[in-house]
Amino acid sequence: MENMQQNPDALVDMINIHKYFGSVQVLRGVDFHVDRQEIVGLLGDNGAGKSTLIKVLTGFHTLTRGQIYFDGDAVTIASPHDARELGIETVHQDLALVPLMSIARNFWLGQEPTYEVGPFRFLDKKMMASESIQALADVGIHIRDSEETVGTMSGGERQSIAIGRAVYFGKKLLILDEPTSALSVGETQKVLDYTIAAKEKGMSVIFITHNIRHVYEVADRFTIIERGHKLGDFYKSEVTETEVADMIVTGEIPERLRLYDEEAVGA
Amino acid sequence: MMQAYLDNKVEGRNIGLLVTGLMAGACLMGLIVAAMVAWGWMPLGERDNIPRWSEGLNVFENIVTVASLIYALCAGRTAWGLVNRERASLRWAQWMLFVSLVLGGIILLSVIIPVGLKFSLLLGQSIDIRSQINDELGGLASAALAIGEGLISISVLIFALIAVLALFVFLIPPLESLRRVEGVRLIVAPPRRLIQAIGLVFALGIVFVLITGLQVVPLHPGVTKIRDVEEHRLLAGLLIFLPALFGYLQVRQVREESDELRRAVALTPGKFIRSELAKSPSAGAIIGFIAIFMAFTMATDLFLEPSSIASFLSNVATKGVIAIGVTYLMISGEFDLSVGSILGVTALSFMLFMTEGAPVLGVLDPIPAAILAIFVALILGAVNGILLITTRIPSFIVTLGTLLAYRAITLVAIAGGRILRYRDFHDDFPILSISNIIFLVLAVIGLLLVLFTAYRVLPFLLRGAQHAWSIREDNGDFGTSGAIVRFVVLAVVALIMLAIVLWLVAVFGYHVSAGGGQLVEVGYFDLFNGRVLSIGAEGDLFHLDIPRDANVRLAILWWFIFVVFFHVILTSTPFGNSIFAAGGNQGAARAQGVNVDRVKVQNFVIVAVLTGIAAIYETARNPGVDPLKGQGWELEVIAMTVIGGALLTGGYGSVVGSLLGALIFGMLQTGLVLVGIESRLFTGTVGVIIIAAVVLNTFVRGAQRN
Repeated sequence: MENMQQNPDALVDMINIHKYFGSVQVLRGVDFHVDRQEIVGLLGDNGAGKSTLIKVLTGFHTLTRGQIYFDGDAVTIASPHDARELGIETVHQDLALVPLMSIARNFWLGQEPTYEVGPFRFLDKKMMASESIQALADVGIHIRDSEETVGTMSGGERQSIAIGRAVYFGKKLLILDEPTSALSVGETQKVLDYTIAAKEKGMSVIFITHNIRHVYEVADRFTIIERGHKLGDFYKSEVTETEVADMIVTGEIPERLRLYDEEAVGA
Repeated sequence: MMQAYLDNKVEGRNIGLLVTGLMAGACLMGLIVAAMVAWGWMPLGERDNIPRWSEGLNVFENIVTVASLIYALCAGRTAWGLVNRERASLRWAQWMLFVSLVLGGIILLSVIIPVGLKFSLLLGQSIDIRSQINDELGGLASAALAIGEGLISISVLIFALIAVLALFVFLIPPLESLRRVEGVRLIVAPPRRLIQAIGLVFALGIVFVLITGLQVVPLHPGVTKIRDVEEHRLLAGLLIFLPALFGYLQVRQVREESDELRRAVALTPGKFIRSELAKSPSAGAIIGFIAIFMAFTMATDLFLEPSSIASFLSNVATKGVIAIGVTYLMISGEFDLSVGSILGVTALSFMLFMTEGAPVLGVLDPIPAAILAIFVALILGAVNGILLITTRIPSFIVTLGTLLAYRAITLVAIAGGRILRYRDFHDDFPILSISNIIFLVLAVIGLLLVLFTAYRVLPFLLRGAQHAWSIREDNGDFGTSGAIVRFVVLAVVALIMLAIVLWLVAVFGYHVSAGGGQLVEVGYFDLFNGRVLSIGAEGDLFHLDIPRDANVRLAILWWFIFVVFFHVILTSTPFGNSIFAAGGNQGAARAQGVNVDRVKVQNFVIVAVLTGIAAIYETARNPGVDPLKGQGWELEVIAMTVIGGALLTGGYGSVVGSLLGALIFGMLQTGLVLVGIESRLFTGTVGVIIIAAVVLNTFVRGAQRN
């Protein structure tokens, strides 16, 4: 396992990832990859380790053991900033936006457009306002006033803005962490539309959820994580929605599918 | 109903004619006031310190004349519009009535506040005032006083009773069931009407007391420092206030047919101002500042004197500088209790470096000593920040610890309550000889800065005004007047810049005529925080016409410069953005690649450096350091910041708010003494103001959310 060859075609290839918090082993040798322009549904029950796997990829946690390849190169991602530099944008379920700040400021947070006067850099507020309205409109989010504070908006609107921002800035990979868990049916459908919009822009998407119904429609492939191990990778053509749902709950691969994935059986 | 009037329907006729009449009356009144003031029949503000142009009218009178002319013009135009059934006149009528309401209220208050204050002081000071009232004014006045006091006591008593009962039912679980009993429910959870009735009784009591006060106070002129009563304004105030109140209440509730119109008209002036204020973090501070400033101005003539204003500005300037830093820190979600101790240590190091000498470097001149001392402050601040991010304990605990620890430094260094004085080591205060070429250069730099700003700002304002003028037809009910206001703003800004340019040219000419290369002697300490007048011979360096008795100190200027600088950084740079994000939602900030830990340490350093600068000002003003220097400042500075609208939980606040908070603080400190209220009441007043300001801030912010 240690010397497993990396897949040169994949956008992201995480090989044999281990993550321990003290003595607690959260990830025990997970292999995970995302191809180019692919929507991957990362599934698993609560506490299975899917969020930890993503936080390793986005630089929130440093991995204990393992190797990450991005775009064919071996990389170390030590901070969220590093991940961003690589072209990875993430929408976290609880840490998306700053409620007391305006839409425009939230949109550009961390990569504000500036102009220079001598040695000083000032925010280009005009561009911040117009570009954020335009960029959000491009993915189908229409806002009235970019100076409105995010705290006054509904959960769905906030999630939309966070995703719109990630699509706008995302160069290669968009990660959505439980984006639909607090949304209504209509709002969920919108999020799925944004996901497809991102794929059409040429990005790959990792869609994390514990609810298969939210992602089955748009995902190309499902990766199921079960208590720190990977249960397996399944292309949408191979499985039905019910089978995936059963796998998440029981943690066992149905008889029919075992032939397809020898490796998972061996592990 | 007003809409019905505009549509020429019968049912709107009366109200429409009434409002038209009110507007015409307001127009007439504005014209009369303007004429009276312009022809000198109504002198305003006879004090010497109000500038007078040659022998003519003084500044106040000119302003009042112009303002009442504008008022008359607007009222007349509104009345004309109403006669012609123009649609925009509806909102104009709302606004004009609102303005009249405010004007009448201000005139009334300018009588009521001095009377109320002076009467209550009289009641408090002399015990036999009641018998005096009986003797001098007869039984009617004392009866009115007795009725007033009785009504106030009754309403307070009823309210207290209700409060106590409600508290008992809330505190004692078995009594909870009483809440549902019919009679008890009325008391425990009184209907709105009942509360309003009690409030009305209370207000009536106050009116009775004030009526007595109006009769009593003129009998005791000059007993207090509070302005003598000018009752003649009472009638004018009532004449404006009551009709405007009536008209405003009539126009306010408009039930309109079309949605569009309803939305436009539903935004009454009151609601509009509230929603505009809600956009600013320091709404409470703005309201508080205006209210307190006007109240003191109305209460006593001494308040608006240059000497009083200079004295309160000088008193709060140093604390205001620290408050800027504390605001930054609070916005980023942290808290610094140790600023008082940092101030002590910095002042001590500054003084030590100049007297006993710094390690290795020996005795230093004031400017190197100041720089080194500020560096000491920087390190103390960095220690705070690094302790915070490495241990992850709350900043309250970290800085509580360093508050005590840093204080130990001054306590150990200056033994036994001694005071480290500059004069104990040196015979004279240090003098710096500056070639006046430096002032020439400074004046030129200033000129260039002003001209550059003018070059950037004026065309921008002009374009805005022109644009507003070109779309005035489509810009709603205030399109034309809005465009005019923009042109006026442009003119005012241009005039201000012209004045600054003229002043700088005068300074330049003065120093040129004094001969180039000449040395000017300036006290080192005066450069930090001297009286502006005492800098250079006769204070000529700034060529400013400042009244002799005004204690204008240089720190005020530094403070304002810092406010502008840090305000721009906070609102217009990526760093400022990351401060808001770090305090508003740490996780989101981190996820977007903001280095939250670094931002926090940077802010701790900024607080400490600003505290260090404040310490230099304080030491320069009074060159001696005692071991307890700066003790208690931390809480005063936090009070200023909180009054200024910063949230203790982070993510919200403004530097201008801290400025306003500090000004409110200073006004109270000076104003209460001037009015003659016990200065011991100062801390109590500040306490009430803090809570009121924060409640106001929350209330106004709530308005935005709805």
